[in-house]
Amino acid sequence: MAIPDALDRLLQALYSGVLNGSVYGLMAIGLTLIWGSLRMLNLAHGALYIAGAYVAYGVLALGLPVPLTFGVAVGGAALIGLVVQVVLITPILENPGRDSASLIATLAASIVVQSAILLLFGGQTKQLPPLIDGGFTIGTTLISYQGLVVIGAAVVCLLLMSVFLHVSRRGLAIRAISQNMDAAKLMGIPIVPTFVVVMVTSAGLAGLAGVLLGSILFFTPSGGFTPMLMAMVVTIFGGLGSVTGTIWAAYIIGLMESFLAVYVGASWALPGIFLFMIVMLVIRPNGLFGLGEARRL
Amino acid sequence: MLTVANLEAGYGGSQVLHSVSLHVGAGETVVVLGPNGHGKTTLLRAISGLIRLTAGRVELDGVDLTHLPTEQIVAAGVVHIPQGDLPFSEMSVLENLLVGAYRPAAWSERRERLERVFQLFPLLAERKRQLARSLSGGERRMLALGRGLMSSARLLMIDEPSLGLAPLVIEQVYETIHDIKRSGLAILLVDENAEHVAGLADRMYLLEAGVLVREGPAAELLRDEALLAAYLG
Repeated sequence: MAIPDALDRLLQALYSGVLNGSVYGLMAIGLTLIWGSLRMLNLAHGALYIAGAYVAYGVLALGLPVPLTFGVAVGGAALIGLVVQVVLITPILENPGRDSASLIATLAASIVVQSAILLLFGGQTKQLPPLIDGGFTIGTTLISYQGLVVIGAAVVCLLLMSVFLHVSRRGLAIRAISQNMDAAKLMGIPIVPTFVVVMVTSAGLAGLAGVLLGSILFFTPSGGFTPMLMAMVVTIFGGLGSVTGTIWAAYIIGLMESFLAVYVGASWALPGIFLFMIVMLVIRPNGLFGLGEARRL
Repeated sequence: MLTVANLEAGYGGSQVLHSVSLHVGAGETVVVLGPNGHGKTTLLRAISGLIRLTAGRVELDGVDLTHLPTEQIVAAGVVHIPQGDLPFSEMSVLENLLVGAYRPAAWSERRERLERVFQLFPLLAERKRQLARSLSGGERRMLALGRGLMSSARLLMIDEPSLGLAPLVIEQVYETIHDIKRSGLAILLVDENAEHVAGLADRMYLLEAGVLVREGPAAELLRDEALLAAYLG
Protein backbone atom coordinates (compact mmCIF):
# COMPACT_ATOMS: atom_id res chain seq x y z
CA MET A 1 0.00 0.00 0.00
CA ALA A 2 1.44 3.35 -0.99
CA ILE A 3 1.04 6.18 1.50
CA PRO A 4 2.70 9.60 1.76
CA ASP A 5 6.20 9.59 3.22
CA ALA A 6 5.32 11.77 6.22
CA LEU A 7 2.48 9.47 7.22
CA ASP A 8 4.74 6.47 6.70
CA ARG A 9 7.31 7.76 9.16
CA LEU A 10 4.65 8.73 11.65
CA LEU A 11 3.16 5.23 11.51
CA GLN A 12 6.59 3.68 11.96
CA ALA A 13 7.27 5.82 15.02
CA LEU A 14 3.83 5.15 16.51
CA TYR A 15 3.98 1.38 16.04
CA SER A 16 7.42 0.85 17.54
CA GLY A 17 6.68 3.42 20.26
CA VAL A 18 3.56 1.60 21.41
CA LEU A 19 5.44 -1.71 21.23
CA ASN A 20 8.30 -0.35 23.34
CA GLY A 21 5.89 1.28 25.76
CA SER A 22 3.98 -1.97 26.29
CA VAL A 23 7.11 -3.86 27.30
CA TYR A 24 8.39 -0.98 29.45
CA GLY A 25 5.00 -0.87 31.15
CA LEU A 26 5.11 -4.57 32.05
CA MET A 27 8.64 -4.15 33.40
CA ALA A 28 8.11 -0.88 35.20
CA ILE A 29 4.86 -1.80 36.93
CA GLY A 30 6.71 -4.49 38.90
CA LEU A 31 9.52 -2.13 39.85
CA THR A 32 7.07 0.53 40.95
CA LEU A 33 4.97 -1.92 43.01
CA ILE A 34 8.08 -3.08 44.87
CA TRP A 35 9.29 0.46 45.32
CA GLY A 36 5.91 1.68 46.52
CA SER A 37 5.34 -1.02 49.12
CA LEU A 38 8.76 -2.34 50.14
CA ARG A 39 10.64 0.94 49.52
CA MET A 40 13.29 -1.11 47.79
CA LEU A 41 14.99 -0.90 44.40
CA ASN A 42 14.90 -4.42 43.00
CA LEU A 43 18.12 -4.85 40.99
CA ALA A 44 17.14 -8.45 40.20
CA HIS A 45 14.24 -7.26 38.05
CA GLY A 46 16.27 -7.49 34.81
CA ALA A 47 17.41 -11.00 35.70
CA LEU A 48 13.78 -12.04 36.27
CA TYR A 49 12.91 -10.63 32.85
CA ILE A 50 15.62 -12.60 31.09
CA ALA A 51 14.83 -15.68 33.19
CA GLY A 52 11.32 -15.58 31.70
CA ALA A 53 12.77 -15.71 28.18
CA TYR A 54 15.17 -18.57 29.02
CA VAL A 55 12.58 -20.63 30.87
CA ALA A 56 10.40 -20.41 27.76
CA TYR A 57 13.39 -21.35 25.59
CA GLY A 58 14.15 -24.31 27.83
CA VAL A 59 10.64 -25.77 27.96
CA LEU A 60 10.25 -25.18 24.23
CA ALA A 61 13.28 -27.42 23.68
CA LEU A 62 11.43 -30.06 25.71
CA GLY A 63 8.68 -29.95 23.11
CA LEU A 64 5.97 -27.92 24.88
CA PRO A 65 3.59 -26.02 22.56
CA VAL A 66 4.36 -22.30 22.23
CA PRO A 67 1.28 -20.88 24.05
CA LEU A 68 1.98 -23.11 27.05
CA THR A 69 5.56 -21.89 27.29
CA PHE A 70 4.19 -18.45 28.12
CA GLY A 71 2.50 -19.73 31.24
CA VAL A 72 5.53 -21.78 32.29
CA ALA A 73 7.84 -18.78 31.76
CA VAL A 74 5.66 -16.49 33.85
CA GLY A 75 5.43 -19.18 36.53
CA GLY A 76 9.18 -19.77 36.45
CA ALA A 77 10.01 -16.08 36.87
CA ALA A 78 7.42 -15.81 39.65
CA LEU A 79 8.98 -18.79 41.39
CA ILE A 80 12.44 -17.20 41.25
CA GLY A 81 10.88 -14.02 42.64
CA LEU A 82 9.36 -16.04 45.46
CA VAL A 83 12.72 -17.60 46.35
CA VAL A 84 14.50 -14.21 46.22
CA GLN A 85 11.87 -12.69 48.49
CA VAL A 86 11.67 -15.47 51.05
CA VAL A 87 15.38 -16.29 51.20
CA LEU A 88 16.99 -12.87 50.73
CA ILE A 89 14.55 -10.05 51.44
CA THR A 90 12.27 -11.22 54.26
CA PRO A 91 15.19 -11.88 56.64
CA ILE A 92 16.54 -8.34 56.23
CA LEU A 93 13.20 -6.47 56.44
CA GLU A 94 13.75 -5.56 60.09
CA ASN A 95 17.40 -4.71 59.51
CA PRO A 96 18.07 -1.02 60.20
CA GLY A 97 20.45 -0.84 57.22
CA ARG A 98 18.04 -2.57 54.89
CA ASP A 99 18.21 0.02 52.12
CA SER A 100 21.77 -0.85 51.18
CA ALA A 101 21.37 -4.47 52.27
CA SER A 102 18.47 -4.97 49.86
CA LEU A 103 20.40 -3.34 47.00
CA ILE A 104 23.26 -5.76 47.52
CA ALA A 105 20.94 -8.74 48.05
CA THR A 106 19.01 -8.12 44.83
CA LEU A 107 22.22 -7.42 42.90
CA ALA A 108 23.57 -10.74 44.17
CA ALA A 109 20.35 -12.48 43.13
CA SER A 110 20.67 -11.05 39.62
CA ILE A 111 24.28 -12.30 39.35
CA VAL A 112 23.27 -15.78 40.54
CA VAL A 113 20.36 -15.99 38.08
CA GLN A 114 22.47 -14.75 35.16
CA SER A 115 25.32 -17.13 35.97
CA ALA A 116 22.91 -20.04 36.24
CA ILE A 117 21.50 -19.14 32.81
CA LEU A 118 25.01 -18.91 31.37
CA LEU A 119 25.86 -22.37 32.75
CA LEU A 120 22.64 -23.93 31.48
CA PHE A 121 22.26 -22.29 28.10
CA GLY A 122 25.68 -20.83 27.19
CA GLY A 123 26.37 -17.29 26.08
CA GLN A 124 25.26 -17.34 22.46
CA THR A 125 22.23 -15.29 21.42
CA LYS A 126 18.85 -16.98 21.36
CA GLN A 127 15.42 -16.19 19.99
CA LEU A 128 11.97 -17.57 20.69
CA PRO A 129 9.58 -18.51 17.89
CA PRO A 130 6.60 -16.15 17.56
CA LEU A 131 3.17 -17.13 18.81
CA ILE A 132 1.73 -16.18 15.41
CA ASP A 133 3.97 -16.00 12.35
CA GLY A 134 3.79 -13.31 9.71
CA GLY A 135 2.50 -9.79 9.52
CA PHE A 136 1.54 -7.10 7.07
CA THR A 137 3.00 -3.85 5.82
CA ILE A 138 1.47 -0.42 5.69
CA GLY A 139 3.72 1.77 3.59
CA THR A 140 7.19 0.58 4.60
CA THR A 141 6.23 -0.24 8.20
CA LEU A 142 6.25 -3.95 8.85
CA ILE A 143 3.68 -4.77 11.50
CA SER A 144 4.21 -8.32 12.71
CA TYR A 145 1.37 -10.27 14.26
CA GLN A 146 3.75 -11.07 17.08
CA GLY A 147 4.16 -7.34 17.73
CA LEU A 148 0.39 -7.00 17.99
CA VAL A 149 0.31 -10.00 20.35
CA VAL A 150 2.92 -8.27 22.55
CA ILE A 151 0.93 -5.02 22.60
CA GLY A 152 -2.35 -6.82 23.25
CA ALA A 153 -0.95 -8.99 26.03
CA ALA A 154 0.71 -6.01 27.71
CA VAL A 155 -2.41 -3.85 27.58
CA VAL A 156 -4.57 -6.67 28.96
CA CYS A 157 -2.08 -7.35 31.77
CA LEU A 158 -1.75 -3.68 32.69
CA LEU A 159 -5.53 -3.34 32.81
CA LEU A 160 -5.86 -6.50 34.90
CA MET A 161 -3.18 -5.19 37.29
CA SER A 162 -5.03 -1.93 37.60
CA VAL A 163 -8.30 -3.73 38.38
CA PHE A 164 -6.51 -6.04 40.83
CA LEU A 165 -5.02 -3.08 42.69
CA HIS A 166 -8.29 -1.15 42.85
CA VAL A 167 -10.90 -3.82 43.52
CA SER A 168 -9.48 -6.97 45.06
CA ARG A 169 -8.81 -7.41 48.75
CA ARG A 170 -5.10 -8.13 48.32
CA GLY A 171 -4.67 -5.40 45.73
CA LEU A 172 -6.19 -2.81 48.05
CA ALA A 173 -3.91 -4.11 50.80
CA ILE A 174 -0.83 -3.57 48.62
CA ARG A 175 -1.85 0.04 47.96
CA ALA A 176 -2.68 0.56 51.63
CA ILE A 177 0.77 -0.63 52.72
CA SER A 178 2.46 1.66 50.23
CA GLN A 179 0.49 4.65 51.47
CA ASN A 180 0.69 4.11 55.21
CA MET A 181 2.41 1.09 56.71
CA ASP A 182 1.25 1.60 60.32
CA ALA A 183 -2.37 2.19 59.36
CA ALA A 184 -2.25 -0.87 57.10
CA LYS A 185 -1.07 -2.99 60.03
CA LEU A 186 -3.96 -1.64 62.12
CA MET A 187 -6.40 -2.79 59.43
CA GLY A 188 -5.13 -6.32 60.05
CA ILE A 189 -3.00 -6.55 56.89
CA PRO A 190 -0.09 -8.96 57.35
CA ILE A 191 2.94 -7.10 56.01
CA VAL A 192 5.45 -9.85 55.21
CA PRO A 193 3.06 -12.13 53.25
CA THR A 194 1.75 -9.12 51.32
CA PHE A 195 5.33 -8.25 50.31
CA VAL A 196 5.65 -11.80 48.98
CA VAL A 197 2.51 -11.29 46.87
CA VAL A 198 4.01 -8.06 45.49
CA MET A 199 7.33 -9.69 44.61
CA VAL A 200 5.77 -12.76 42.99
CA THR A 201 3.38 -10.62 40.93
CA SER A 202 6.06 -8.26 39.69
CA ALA A 203 8.46 -11.13 38.96
CA GLY A 204 5.74 -12.81 36.91
CA LEU A 205 5.15 -9.61 34.95
CA ALA A 206 8.90 -9.24 34.32
CA GLY A 207 9.00 -12.84 33.09
CA LEU A 208 6.05 -12.14 30.79
CA ALA A 209 7.84 -9.10 29.35
CA GLY A 210 10.89 -11.31 28.76
CA VAL A 211 9.04 -14.05 26.95
CA LEU A 212 7.03 -11.56 24.88
CA LEU A 213 10.05 -9.61 23.75
CA GLY A 214 12.14 -12.78 23.36
CA SER A 215 10.32 -13.56 20.15
CA ILE A 216 11.04 -10.13 18.67
CA LEU A 217 14.60 -9.46 19.85
CA PHE A 218 17.60 -11.71 20.31
CA PHE A 219 18.63 -12.25 23.89
CA THR A 220 21.68 -13.24 25.92
CA PRO A 221 22.05 -14.02 29.67
CA SER A 222 22.84 -10.38 30.47
CA GLY A 223 20.07 -9.08 28.20
CA GLY A 224 17.87 -7.99 31.09
CA PHE A 225 20.01 -5.01 31.97
CA THR A 226 18.85 -2.53 29.34
CA PRO A 227 15.12 -3.27 29.79
CA MET A 228 15.59 -2.85 33.55
CA LEU A 229 17.37 0.44 33.03
CA MET A 230 14.54 1.66 30.80
CA ALA A 231 12.01 0.46 33.35
CA MET A 232 13.84 2.46 36.03
CA VAL A 233 13.68 5.56 33.83
CA VAL A 234 9.96 4.94 33.36
CA THR A 235 9.43 4.38 37.09
CA ILE A 236 11.24 7.57 38.03
CA PHE A 237 9.52 9.48 35.24
CA GLY A 238 6.10 8.26 36.37
CA GLY A 239 6.70 9.31 39.96
CA LEU A 240 8.12 6.43 42.01
CA GLY A 241 5.41 4.18 43.34
CA SER A 242 2.50 5.54 41.29
CA VAL A 243 0.90 2.81 39.15
CA THR A 244 -1.19 5.03 36.90
CA GLY A 245 1.75 7.40 36.44
CA THR A 246 3.98 4.48 35.54
CA ILE A 247 1.64 3.18 32.84
CA TRP A 248 1.42 6.63 31.24
CA ALA A 249 5.17 7.13 31.57
CA ALA A 250 5.89 3.77 29.90
CA TYR A 251 4.04 4.77 26.74
CA ILE A 252 5.41 8.32 26.77
CA ILE A 253 9.01 7.07 27.05
CA GLY A 254 8.40 4.34 24.48
CA LEU A 255 6.96 6.84 22.00
CA MET A 256 9.68 9.38 22.73
CA GLU A 257 12.33 6.77 22.03
CA SER A 258 10.83 5.77 18.69
CA PHE A 259 10.07 9.35 17.60
CA LEU A 260 13.66 10.35 18.34
CA ALA A 261 14.89 7.32 16.42
CA VAL A 262 12.69 7.99 13.40
CA TYR A 263 12.95 11.77 13.20
CA VAL A 264 16.39 12.57 14.69
CA GLY A 265 18.35 9.37 14.27
CA ALA A 266 18.57 6.00 16.01
CA SER A 267 21.69 6.93 17.96
CA TRP A 268 19.84 9.83 19.58
CA ALA A 269 17.09 7.77 21.17
CA LEU A 270 18.80 6.77 24.43
CA PRO A 271 20.87 9.92 25.04
CA GLY A 272 17.78 11.97 24.24
CA ILE A 273 15.69 10.14 26.81
CA PHE A 274 18.33 10.44 29.52
CA LEU A 275 18.81 14.14 28.75
CA PHE A 276 15.05 14.58 28.99
CA MET A 277 14.99 12.74 32.30
CA ILE A 278 17.73 14.92 33.75
CA VAL A 279 15.90 18.09 32.71
CA MET A 280 12.61 16.76 34.05
CA LEU A 281 14.13 15.77 37.39
CA VAL A 282 15.42 19.32 37.75
CA ILE A 283 11.99 20.81 37.00
CA ARG A 284 9.78 18.15 38.58
CA PRO A 285 11.86 16.19 41.11
CA ASN A 286 8.96 13.91 42.03
CA GLY A 287 8.38 12.71 38.49
CA LEU A 288 5.81 13.71 35.96
CA PHE A 289 2.90 12.40 38.01
CA GLY A 290 4.50 12.32 41.46
CA LEU A 291 2.89 14.69 43.92
CA GLY A 292 5.64 14.17 46.44
CA GLU A 293 6.23 11.63 49.15
CA ALA A 294 2.51 11.45 49.92
CA ARG A 295 1.47 10.24 46.49
CA ARG A 296 1.61 6.48 46.14
CA LEU A 297 0.07 3.69 44.08
CA MET B 1 -13.12 -8.74 78.05
CA LEU B 2 -9.76 -6.94 77.57
CA THR B 3 -7.31 -7.40 80.41
CA VAL B 4 -3.95 -5.65 80.52
CA ALA B 5 -1.65 -6.74 83.33
CA ASN B 6 1.60 -5.05 84.44
CA LEU B 7 2.33 -3.79 80.95
CA GLU B 8 5.68 -2.08 80.38
CA ALA B 9 6.72 -0.57 77.08
CA GLY B 10 8.71 2.27 75.57
CA TYR B 11 10.84 3.35 72.66
CA GLY B 12 14.45 2.30 72.32
CA GLY B 13 16.02 2.40 75.75
CA SER B 14 13.53 4.73 77.41
CA GLN B 15 10.61 3.18 79.23
CA VAL B 16 7.33 5.07 78.90
CA LEU B 17 4.77 2.83 80.62
CA HIS B 18 5.35 1.44 84.08
CA SER B 19 3.38 -1.61 85.18
CA VAL B 20 0.05 -0.53 83.67
CA SER B 21 -2.92 -2.76 84.52
CA LEU B 22 -6.43 -2.12 83.29
CA HIS B 23 -9.50 -3.96 82.07
CA VAL B 24 -12.46 -3.25 79.81
CA GLY B 25 -15.67 -5.23 80.23
CA ALA B 26 -18.02 -6.31 77.43
CA GLY B 27 -20.00 -3.32 76.16
CA GLU B 28 -18.17 -1.00 78.53
CA THR B 29 -16.69 2.37 77.61
CA VAL B 30 -13.43 2.98 79.45
CA VAL B 31 -11.51 6.23 79.20
CA VAL B 32 -7.84 6.68 80.03
CA LEU B 33 -7.35 10.34 80.82
CA GLY B 34 -3.93 11.92 80.90
CA PRO B 35 -1.95 14.92 79.75
CA ASN B 36 -0.04 14.92 76.47
CA GLY B 37 3.22 13.03 76.45
CA HIS B 38 2.38 10.83 79.42
CA GLY B 39 2.02 7.58 77.47
CA LYS B 40 -1.60 7.37 76.27
CA THR B 41 -0.71 6.73 72.64
CA THR B 42 2.11 4.39 73.66
CA LEU B 43 -0.41 2.37 75.68
CA LEU B 44 -2.68 1.80 72.67
CA ARG B 45 0.27 1.11 70.35
CA ALA B 46 1.55 -1.49 72.81
CA ILE B 47 -1.83 -3.21 73.12
CA SER B 48 -2.21 -3.41 69.33
CA GLY B 49 1.31 -4.76 68.88
CA LEU B 50 2.80 -1.81 66.97
CA ILE B 51 5.53 -1.64 69.62
CA ARG B 52 6.87 -4.55 71.64
CA LEU B 53 6.05 -4.96 75.31
CA THR B 54 9.07 -5.29 77.55
CA ALA B 55 6.92 -6.88 80.24
CA GLY B 56 3.31 -7.67 81.04
CA ARG B 57 0.42 -9.43 79.42
CA VAL B 58 -2.56 -8.56 77.18
CA GLU B 59 -5.59 -10.85 77.04
CA LEU B 60 -8.92 -10.76 75.26
CA ASP B 61 -11.52 -13.04 76.84
CA GLY B 62 -8.77 -15.17 78.28
CA VAL B 63 -6.91 -15.49 74.95
CA ASP B 64 -3.32 -14.33 75.21
CA LEU B 65 -2.54 -11.56 72.70
CA THR B 66 0.87 -10.64 74.14
CA HIS B 67 3.58 -10.46 71.46
CA LEU B 68 1.20 -11.45 68.65
CA PRO B 69 1.72 -9.53 65.40
CA THR B 70 -0.72 -6.67 64.87
CA GLU B 71 -2.74 -8.44 62.15
CA GLN B 72 -3.58 -11.27 64.55
CA ILE B 73 -4.55 -8.85 67.30
CA VAL B 74 -6.90 -7.18 64.80
CA ALA B 75 -8.20 -10.59 63.75
CA ALA B 76 -8.97 -11.32 67.40
CA GLY B 77 -11.20 -8.23 67.45
CA VAL B 78 -9.08 -5.46 68.98
CA VAL B 79 -9.19 -2.60 66.49
CA HIS B 80 -7.13 0.55 67.03
CA ILE B 81 -8.11 3.91 65.51
CA PRO B 82 -4.85 5.82 65.62
CA GLN B 83 -4.18 9.42 66.47
CA GLY B 84 -4.04 11.67 63.42
CA ASP B 85 -6.26 9.16 61.56
CA LEU B 86 -3.55 7.95 59.14
CA PRO B 87 -5.87 7.79 56.16
CA PHE B 88 -4.76 6.11 52.93
CA SER B 89 -4.69 9.52 51.35
CA GLU B 90 -4.44 8.48 47.68
CA MET B 91 -7.40 6.12 48.00
CA SER B 92 -11.05 7.04 47.77
CA VAL B 93 -13.27 7.11 50.84
CA LEU B 94 -14.87 3.87 49.66
CA GLU B 95 -11.50 2.17 49.18
CA ASN B 96 -10.38 3.30 52.64
CA LEU B 97 -13.48 1.71 54.13
CA LEU B 98 -12.97 -1.51 52.17
CA VAL B 99 -9.39 -1.80 53.45
CA GLY B 100 -10.91 -1.58 56.94
CA ALA B 101 -12.70 -4.84 56.16
CA TYR B 102 -9.47 -6.58 55.11
CA ARG B 103 -9.73 -9.56 57.47
CA PRO B 104 -11.59 -12.44 55.75
CA ALA B 105 -14.35 -12.51 58.38
CA ALA B 106 -15.14 -8.82 57.75
CA TRP B 107 -14.54 -8.94 53.99
CA SER B 108 -17.31 -11.47 53.39
CA GLU B 109 -19.77 -9.10 55.10
CA ARG B 110 -18.36 -5.88 53.64
CA ARG B 111 -21.58 -4.83 51.92
CA GLU B 112 -23.69 -4.98 55.07
CA ARG B 113 -20.96 -3.26 57.07
CA LEU B 114 -20.62 -0.56 54.45
CA GLU B 115 -24.35 0.09 54.63
CA ARG B 116 -24.18 0.40 58.42
CA VAL B 117 -21.21 2.78 58.27
CA PHE B 118 -22.97 4.93 55.67
CA GLN B 119 -26.03 5.05 57.92
CA LEU B 120 -23.89 6.24 60.80
CA PHE B 121 -21.93 8.68 58.59
CA PRO B 122 -24.18 9.89 55.72
CA LEU B 123 -21.42 12.33 54.83
CA LEU B 124 -19.05 9.48 53.94
CA ALA B 125 -21.69 8.06 51.60
CA GLU B 126 -21.88 11.40 49.81
CA ARG B 127 -18.10 11.56 49.46
CA LYS B 128 -17.37 7.92 48.75
CA ARG B 129 -15.70 8.60 45.38
CA GLN B 130 -13.54 11.43 46.73
CA LEU B 131 -9.86 10.91 47.57
CA ALA B 132 -9.24 10.78 51.32
CA ARG B 133 -6.68 13.58 51.12
CA SER B 134 -9.38 15.99 49.95
CA LEU B 135 -11.41 15.55 53.16
CA SER B 136 -11.47 18.07 55.99
CA GLY B 137 -10.07 17.21 59.42
CA GLY B 138 -13.48 16.30 60.84
CA GLU B 139 -14.39 14.20 57.80
CA ARG B 140 -11.11 12.33 58.13
CA ARG B 141 -11.89 11.57 61.76
CA MET B 142 -15.28 10.20 60.64
CA LEU B 143 -13.50 8.14 57.98
CA ALA B 144 -11.08 6.73 60.57
CA LEU B 145 -14.00 5.76 62.82
CA GLY B 146 -15.93 4.28 59.89
CA ARG B 147 -12.88 2.34 58.75
CA GLY B 148 -12.57 0.87 62.24
CA LEU B 149 -16.23 -0.14 62.20
CA MET B 150 -15.74 -1.98 58.89
CA SER B 151 -13.64 -4.53 60.75
CA SER B 152 -15.08 -7.27 62.87
CA ALA B 153 -14.10 -5.31 65.97
CA ARG B 154 -15.22 -6.44 69.41
CA LEU B 155 -13.24 -3.72 71.13
CA LEU B 156 -12.57 -0.35 69.55
CA MET B 157 -9.53 1.57 70.81
CA ILE B 158 -9.75 5.26 69.95
CA ASP B 159 -6.79 7.61 70.31
CA GLU B 160 -7.75 11.19 71.19
CA PRO B 161 -10.50 11.78 68.63
CA SER B 162 -10.67 15.52 69.34
CA LEU B 163 -7.08 16.22 68.31
CA GLY B 164 -6.80 19.20 66.01
CA LEU B 165 -10.54 19.68 65.43
CA ALA B 166 -12.75 22.75 65.77
CA PRO B 167 -15.11 22.74 68.81
CA LEU B 168 -18.26 22.23 66.76
CA VAL B 169 -16.73 19.27 64.92
CA ILE B 170 -15.46 17.81 68.19
CA GLU B 171 -19.04 17.72 69.44
CA GLN B 172 -20.16 15.78 66.36
CA VAL B 173 -17.30 13.29 66.70
CA TYR B 174 -18.16 12.50 70.33
CA GLU B 175 -21.83 12.18 69.44
CA THR B 176 -20.86 9.57 66.90
CA ILE B 177 -18.80 7.71 69.48
CA HIS B 178 -21.93 7.77 71.65
CA ASP B 179 -23.81 6.09 68.80
CA ILE B 180 -21.08 3.46 68.55
CA LYS B 181 -21.30 2.88 72.29
CA ARG B 182 -25.07 2.42 72.03
CA SER B 183 -24.49 -0.28 69.41
CA GLY B 184 -22.93 -2.34 72.22
CA LEU B 185 -19.28 -2.29 71.15
CA ALA B 186 -16.70 -2.11 73.94
CA ILE B 187 -14.60 1.05 73.71
CA LEU B 188 -11.21 1.99 75.16
CA LEU B 189 -10.67 5.69 74.55
CA VAL B 190 -7.68 7.81 75.51
CA ASP B 191 -8.14 11.55 75.88
CA GLU B 192 -6.71 14.57 77.63
CA ASN B 193 -9.90 16.49 78.15
CA ALA B 194 -12.34 15.36 80.86
CA GLU B 195 -15.13 17.52 79.47
CA HIS B 196 -15.19 15.63 76.17
CA VAL B 197 -15.78 12.27 77.75
CA ALA B 198 -18.29 13.25 80.45
CA GLY B 199 -21.46 11.28 79.83
CA LEU B 200 -19.63 8.89 77.52
CA ALA B 201 -17.28 7.09 79.90
CA ASP B 202 -18.50 4.33 82.21
CA ARG B 203 -15.21 4.03 83.99
CA MET B 204 -12.01 6.10 83.95
CA TYR B 205 -8.32 5.74 84.63
CA LEU B 206 -5.86 8.58 85.14
CA LEU B 207 -2.47 8.16 83.49
CA GLU B 208 0.43 10.29 84.72
CA ALA B 209 4.04 9.86 83.60
CA GLY B 210 3.32 6.34 82.41
CA VAL B 211 1.63 5.22 85.63
CA LEU B 212 -2.10 4.69 86.23
CA VAL B 213 -2.65 6.78 89.34
CA ARG B 214 -6.42 6.52 89.83
CA GLU B 215 -9.31 4.39 88.71
CA GLY B 216 -13.02 4.66 89.29
CA PRO B 217 -16.52 5.07 87.92
CA ALA B 218 -16.60 8.07 85.59
CA ALA B 219 -19.37 9.81 87.53
CA GLU B 220 -17.29 9.66 90.71
CA LEU B 221 -14.03 10.88 89.17
CA LEU B 222 -15.83 13.67 87.33
CA ARG B 223 -17.13 15.02 90.66
CA ASP B 224 -13.55 15.49 91.86
CA GLU B 225 -12.93 19.21 91.50
CA ALA B 226 -9.15 19.13 91.75
CA LEU B 227 -9.11 16.55 89.04
CA LEU B 228 -11.45 18.52 86.83
CA ALA B 229 -9.30 21.60 87.19
CA ALA B 230 -6.32 19.61 85.94
CA TYR B 231 -8.10 17.89 83.03
CA LEU B 232 -10.55 20.40 81.68
CA GLY B 233 -8.15 21.29 78.89
